[in-house]
Amino acid sequence: MRRYETLFIVTPDSSEEELKAVADKFQGVVTGMNGKVASYDEQGKKSLAYNVKKQSKGYYVLMDYLGQAEVVAELERNMRLDDRILKYLTVKLADQVDPATVEAAKPKPKKEAEKTEVAEEEAQSPEDQESEEEETEED
Amino acid sequence: MVAYRRRRSFPRRKVCRFCADSNVKIDYKDPKLLKYFITERGKIIPRRISGNCARHQREITMAIKRARHIALMPYTTIQPH
Repeated sequence: MRRYETLFIVTPDSSEEELKAVADKFQGVVTGMNGKVASYDEQGKKSLAYNVKKQSKGYYVLMDYLGQAEVVAELERNMRLDDRILKYLTVKLADQVDPATVEAAKPKPKKEAEKTEVAEEEAQSPEDQESEEEETEED
Repeated sequence: MVAYRRRRSFPRRKVCRFCADSNVKIDYKDPKLLKYFITERGKIIPRRISGNCARHQREITMAIKRARHIALMPYTTIQPH
């Protein structure tokens, strides 16, 4: 499994319930595809550097998760369709991660690096080999 | 006497601040740090001025571009109408 993080902006006029709904929806997408959410961090309302969809503010949310590349594709597809999401950015953090070493909703980036090396020696699944692109960016 | 046409610039060699202090992590989610490496108009400051080493300049550039994409930093300060 790979480790990714997605930073996305939720529209500023959404209520508490809507933020909750967004959280449930996208965490559900990840877990529904055999992914694992390591952390889900709502960073609060921030002003944007430039207007996006005529909005000058937005709720930033950082989600850290594990999964295959298909999880990212599915997650980004859902974000594109969802009107509440203004923008998103996904970055790959690590290539081969053993899901057992990552606790759900508790990120441990320091330990992660060591564990990743161990995981590489143990399980070298062929599909994890090639992955040159470091990130997927889309509007 | 020949006037010095070319003004001598300060020979003070800047040290890459990320090499000097390895605790500072370059992260696209940290616009406060990255702001230091852009001009007032939002352009990325070149290495010869910022004094970064090649490696860290690369990381800075990457981080700024990511931050711009997610609207944490401006592409330009001139607002399009």
